[in-house]
Amino acid sequence: MSSVPAVSVEQLTRVFRVPGLRRREFTAVSDVSLEVQPGEVYGLIGPNGSGKSTTMKVLLGLLRATSGKCAIFGRDSARVDSREEVGYLPENPYFYKHLTGAETLEFYGKLCGLRGRELRERIGEMLALVDLEESRDRRLGGYSKGMLQRIGLAQAIIHRPRLVVLDEPTAGVDPLGSRQIRDLILELKRRGITVILSSHLLEQVQEVCDRIGIIFRGRMLREGSLAQITEVGNRSEIVLEGMTPELMEEIRALAAARGAKWIHDGHPRTTLETLFLEVTSAAAEAARASAGKS
Amino acid sequence: METAAPIRRHRSFSFGRVWTIATGTLTQLVRMKVFAFMAIFAVVLIGASFAFADLKTEQELKMLKDVSFAAIQLFCMLFAIAGTAMLIPRDVEDRTLYTILCKPVSRLEYLLGKLGGMVLVLVISLGAMDLLFTGVLHLKQRTVVEQNVAELEYRPFRSQEEREKAVAEIIEVATQQGASWNLQAGMAAILAKSIVLTAVTLLVSTFATSTLFTIMVSLALMVIGHAQGLAREVLLDEADGAVLPRLVAGGVAVLFPDFKTFDVLDAVITGTVVPGVEVLKMGGLCGIYCVLYMLAAWVLFADKEL
Ligand SMILES: Nc1ncnc2c1ncn2[C@@H]1O[C@H](COP(=O)(O)OP(=O)(O)O)[C@@H](O)[C@H]1O
Ligand SMILES: [Mg+2]
Repeated sequence: MSSVPAVSVEQLTRVFRVPGLRRREFTAVSDVSLEVQPGEVYGLIGPNGSGKSTTMKVLLGLLRATSGKCAIFGRDSARVDSREEVGYLPENPYFYKHLTGAETLEFYGKLCGLRGRELRERIGEMLALVDLEESRDRRLGGYSKGMLQRIGLAQAIIHRPRLVVLDEPTAGVDPLGSRQIRDLILELKRRGITVILSSHLLEQVQEVCDRIGIIFRGRMLREGSLAQITEVGNRSEIVLEGMTPELMEEIRALAAARGAKWIHDGHPRTTLETLFLEVTSAAAEAARASAGKS
Repeated sequence: METAAPIRRHRSFSFGRVWTIATGTLTQLVRMKVFAFMAIFAVVLIGASFAFADLKTEQELKMLKDVSFAAIQLFCMLFAIAGTAMLIPRDVEDRTLYTILCKPVSRLEYLLGKLGGMVLVLVISLGAMDLLFTGVLHLKQRTVVEQNVAELEYRPFRSQEEREKAVAEIIEVATQQGASWNLQAGMAAILAKSIVLTAVTLLVSTFATSTLFTIMVSLALMVIGHAQGLAREVLLDEADGAVLPRLVAGGVAVLFPDFKTFDVLDAVITGTVVPGVEVLKMGGLCGIYCVLYMLAAWVLFADKEL
């Protein structure tokens, strides 16, 4: 691969004027630098108001930087043509309510220069990818939040961008929907598309991101690969099925004999999210199966 | 591999993108059922065609034209202002603008697309009203002629010749006051005015803080546009050739739209023929105003923080 990073943000600072009588200023992003290599999935995490969206908007040229530089595949973000290679899903987006799913994709596809058969095929492909084929002729006014996010993702990638920027893609979406979005992100990654996403939900970021940056009050606190950031180096975990008290004793004894320290044992818990997903997806599967029979 | 972005050379200005935004805007307005006001227009028109039935031939047709042109003009101009005022604020509020501007779309293309969409809507609605109006006027003209000719039966004529002359006179008056190409000059004037108002409203909405503000300012500009020609005449007459008042008046005419050139409706209604040069002049002036206001809008919008 070439050495040009997909995204490079260098010492980005963004100051907002706070409207009012006194000319107060507010620094939303302060001296943030980050780099994303092609093919990586990068997660920007931090609580609300920490400057994630602002960073992304500057990256996309929707806001100007007060100081610092942003580039996409080496092209300055302020240039309109840097947007050829990028797809963006803003935070809580609303698309034109009066358009159907297919018309929405057609509109954005045309803006990206797609026409004719290529455009039609691409619309079909995208609707299939985000699993909205059945709703293609329904107006967006009647879409659920999860469906809107998925159509938003589809419009973001309709022109085959090499970089996709997703601002809180799962905010306000139920667990099943957010699982679908997670799978889509993994699919993008499989296809070699670079993804940068923001979230305040840590588990989700953990599931999909190669590298993460923790941003808080406009400052980058920590950055690195997921393994680097979360690994506890000198500990290990074993999960077994069919454990008997005798086997447990043997392992304990062996560990003690080899000089390892026993920290913790117990039954792994299903997280509520996993349980919820298991139950609902089983039900969905069953419904689909019975629908297929009749 | 599916992912490889096809090499597409970016063109810094593309009519395709402007057209996409324009037709998108047209669809938006159509699906907001803006053409419903056409039903109101139809009622006004049909009401007017019955209301003045007991006037003289000439008067009857004139009144019908008077009422119809007034209604068409009012609809088009109010629609140009109210329709345009909501376009940009709506996109900003819904963050739809982000999804558009993060595509390779320049802000100028976006603005021109919005203008184009409104022009399409205006052309379609004005065209429909024009058709309806011309049809009704044509029918009215025929009934008026028939009625008047029928009334001649009760008038004693000395000769057949005299009778034929009277019939010819009726037909001439009716033709002069009836449906004609000259009326289309009036339609052109209304279209030109409405397009100028659209451009001005778009300009205002790039710096306005609310839709209501945009509508109020644009309405005020509409009034100024109609009044400034008159005001200028009076003032310059008093100033009697002084340079400064002339410059000021010229400046005002550039900053605020001046609708004096588009003032042909009265002439058209009385049946005075508007020369083709005048129509060309209206088109040219409309173009100049659009370019001016769109450039200003671009300057303001290009720097706008979203
Ligand atoms: N246009 C603006 N004007 C003033 N302050 C803003 C503006 N946009 C964002 N901010 C402020 O900048 C901070 C960071 O916002 P944002 O980037 O949206 O955070 P996040 O996406 O991480 O939740 C917030 O405190 C927010 O109030
Ligand atoms: Mg945010």
